[in-house]
Amino acid sequence: MAVRANPRLIDDLQRYGAEDVSKCYHCGNCTAACQLSGQPFLFPRRSMRALQMGLEQRLRSSLDPWLCYYCGDCSEQCPRGADPGETMMSIRRWLTAQYDFTGISRLFYRSPVTQVVAMLAIAALTGVGFVVHAALQGGHLSIYDGPQAFLPEGAVHVFDWAMGGGLFALLLVNCARMWWFTMRGEGGPRASVTAYLRNLVLLPVHFFTQQRYRQCKNTGPWGVHLALMLSYVTMLVLIVFFLPEMQHGPDVRWGVHVFGYLAAIGLLAGTILALRGRLTRQAAHHQHSHASDWIFLGMLLALAVTGIVQHVLHRAGLPMAANVAYLVHLMVVAPFEITQVPFGKWSHMAYRPLAIYLAAVQAAAQAATAQVVEQPATSVRA
Amino acid sequence: MSAGRRIGVYLCGRGDWAGGPLDLKAIADYAIQLPGVRAVRVVPAAQALDPETLAGQIRGERLDEIIVGGDSPGFFKAAFARALAQAGGDPELIRLASFREHCTADGALDGHALDRAKAVVACAVHGVPFGLAAEPGTAKVSADTLVIGAGVAGIQASLEIADAGHKVHLVERRGTIGGHMAMFDKTFPTLDCAACILTPKMVAVGKHPNIDLMILSEVQEVSGGPGAYRVKVLRHATRVDASACVACNDCAQFCPVTVASEWDQGIATRKAIYIPFPQAVPNAYLVDPAACTWVQSGGKKCGACAKKCSKEAVHLDAKDEVVELTVGNIVVTTGYKPFDPQRIGRYGYRTYPNVLTALEFERLTNASGPTGGTIVLKTKKLNKRTKTEEWVFEPDGPKPRSVAIIHCVGSRDRNHNRYCSRVCCMYSLKFAHLVKEKLPGAECHEYYIDMRAYGKGYEEFLERIKEEGIHVVRGRSAEVVSRNGQLYVRGEDVLAGKLVENPVDMVLLAVGLQPSEGTDALAKMLGIGRVEDGWFNEANYNTDPSSTERGGIFVAGVCQGPKDIPDTVAQASAAAGRVLRGIVSGRTPGSRAEFGLADIERQAVALTHP
Repeated sequence: MAVRANPRLIDDLQRYGAEDVSKCYHCGNCTAACQLSGQPFLFPRRSMRALQMGLEQRLRSSLDPWLCYYCGDCSEQCPRGADPGETMMSIRRWLTAQYDFTGISRLFYRSPVTQVVAMLAIAALTGVGFVVHAALQGGHLSIYDGPQAFLPEGAVHVFDWAMGGGLFALLLVNCARMWWFTMRGEGGPRASVTAYLRNLVLLPVHFFTQQRYRQCKNTGPWGVHLALMLSYVTMLVLIVFFLPEMQHGPDVRWGVHVFGYLAAIGLLAGTILALRGRLTRQAAHHQHSHASDWIFLGMLLALAVTGIVQHVLHRAGLPMAANVAYLVHLMVVAPFEITQVPFGKWSHMAYRPLAIYLAAVQAAAQAATAQVVEQPATSVRA
Repeated sequence: MSAGRRIGVYLCGRGDWAGGPLDLKAIADYAIQLPGVRAVRVVPAAQALDPETLAGQIRGERLDEIIVGGDSPGFFKAAFARALAQAGGDPELIRLASFREHCTADGALDGHALDRAKAVVACAVHGVPFGLAAEPGTAKVSADTLVIGAGVAGIQASLEIADAGHKVHLVERRGTIGGHMAMFDKTFPTLDCAACILTPKMVAVGKHPNIDLMILSEVQEVSGGPGAYRVKVLRHATRVDASACVACNDCAQFCPVTVASEWDQGIATRKAIYIPFPQAVPNAYLVDPAACTWVQSGGKKCGACAKKCSKEAVHLDAKDEVVELTVGNIVVTTGYKPFDPQRIGRYGYRTYPNVLTALEFERLTNASGPTGGTIVLKTKKLNKRTKTEEWVFEPDGPKPRSVAIIHCVGSRDRNHNRYCSRVCCMYSLKFAHLVKEKLPGAECHEYYIDMRAYGKGYEEFLERIKEEGIHVVRGRSAEVVSRNGQLYVRGEDVLAGKLVENPVDMVLLAVGLQPSEGTDALAKMLGIGRVEDGWFNEANYNTDPSSTERGGIFVAGVCQGPKDIPDTVAQASAAAGRVLRGIVSGRTPGSRAEFGLADIERQAVALTHP
């Protein structure tokens, strides 16, 4: 099969944050230093090579970038300052854009300004939408609960479900494209259904534990990352499935709210720690921040803060202030989810466990083919 | 200089290259007042030079000659030639003022790089080659020469000069001459016995009537100028009369103090009174005052060596002295120190006993080393004196079945030394050969980034090594780990596309070279420059590799930049040639470092009006 090289690939990746790829002289230190790299998934050097050679197809069909959790050891030890860790991060951004069939992700990553403008537009639309809805339904800014509520929970619930459903569908399509690129792309061995089924358990395991991250030498970031992710997921479940209980007030319903409080603390602490890391730039994996990282963390922080303020104001018996805070919160939620879930950094919550799962399937398929190939070879020799 | 000509000076670039930032504005202000200069423009490198625009400027200012100044002005010359032709001028009338060539490569110019750049522009304006105008006058030279450092470079330079009939003062910090080469087992690629080549030269130095050898000595102060440098040398007392000592070893037998031997890189021990190695020159014992009980107790305790010496050669109360010399020339041959691999913790040096540096292995495999040249692993042994267990080399210790050699330790690495140390690839191949020769059954892996077998016979040596069954793996290994007492070298085999983790018994670290201790202080004393990496700077990389900016001071060997033995010896002879040129002609060149802008200007004007 002819291999097509894209000489501009390395320039293209620069827009996603990979700046020093051409410095790499392939000593292999990074791959050997990496605790997660192992046969047959050797990285990051091979990805650096694919980039230098412009092997776009190979890069697109590679699962390697998602198997990296970015501890930064490779970049710290790199004798050339080629920053393999950041390169892997940039390839993940690039892959996110590749999986997204709409092209929106590509646009957002390459032009953060466009992304910010889109977010502002979505926020404005959300705000105007809810205000108009309240006006039409006779909602009152000073009423938080009940029939004349400014933001009735029923409407918000429908809004959440509609938005969530749409985004989830987009994400699923992207995941399917990821599967297609990586499992069908380069003409590697086809995996059997049994291989897919046998490894299926890896999906939830790696989603909920991120245990591979713990294999990195520095396990500190694993804790922060996991706490942030679990808090977010808890909050998501609460809002999508338990919104009426969540929004009930002004008294506190401990059975539900305790989870909300824990999640809020986790979100706030995790986001602040991650932001502090990126600002102080002490750890290798915080040396470089792409605009998309700032947008993601900034929005996440805004999401947590507005949610908390809204909740506190509601408990404090200030319905009007609570309504305003709630509207602002929704104006953060909508742009965050719409831009980040299928098109942005959020999507790695799906891609990474999926990649770990697919990698296991692929390894199983390769092992199976290796056995099949070996048999006729020995018979020929005999 | 033709009257009425109109010159335009274009300074191209940002002025922030390797030699340090240059203030282009200041150069421009200087250039505008030079005779004939009508226009000066600074063109940032980022800005593309458009011949159309330039032609417009040339026509506007009615320029007929262009000076292109900058880091690499030749890069911009074509655009100016086209512009000049377009403007109806003669495209031949372009002269280059290269700062890289004349200022930044001559990095000794700390502080006067700007003046030097101005002078380069001035010479271009006057139409005089910079090399001619910037050549200082000469001074009468005193015939004695000082050579600092008595490794193979210092030995070679001293012998060349002394054999020509001139006096040499050879200063050596260690207790013997010979330097690193005398520690080596074999040389590459010829596999000559290093000591067999070097010791005759060492003996010749020791016996030479024209060589005044000072061991345990250091240069303390340098004053004066070209032709007559006044040098103060601190001579530490050896406390043994070298002319009386017959190196019978009686003193050391009775010496109660045992310390690690520097000569054997700490893998063997010596006494407080010792001879660095059996063929040391001068072939006499020395006292290590830091270890000697008599010295440390202020003469109250011990003194056994002095009592036992039948030649009465030991004088424990001898004092250090300062010697003052006047010399016409100085040759600096201070060599290197190896990179300390403890800085890269993941290679496990000093954590795992059988991870060795290159020099440790040289001593281990050397016939005069602690095991008589047998390659063995360290064994645990109880030190009766300190009651602690130590890992030591025993001649009958277990032999390694597998040896890994890791290249580029501390070299070609942005985190340590960026440069290639040049010798490590070849000495690593030599090690592999020695391992295979002495332990035919042992496996030997070389982990390299790029194989630099660049010299005469080197590539052939590499081919030979491969034929000997040594595994040459492309890929710098990332770490040495130990599991259940077994060492593993983890690395990526880049060409095979595999992650390898080979079990090994011994790991050799091919450490790079760094300027030796005290290089900075010596450079300041001598007033000569150093490049960013710390090596002494030569007057011209291509055409004058052993002179420095200061007249009568020369450099040779690794202290000028990493190099192997043949290159070191060649450069030492070259430096000696430059010294002899001065002595024979009776005059030595002045210091270029002290030849300022005004001097160059004056000389440039004089050259245009012969």
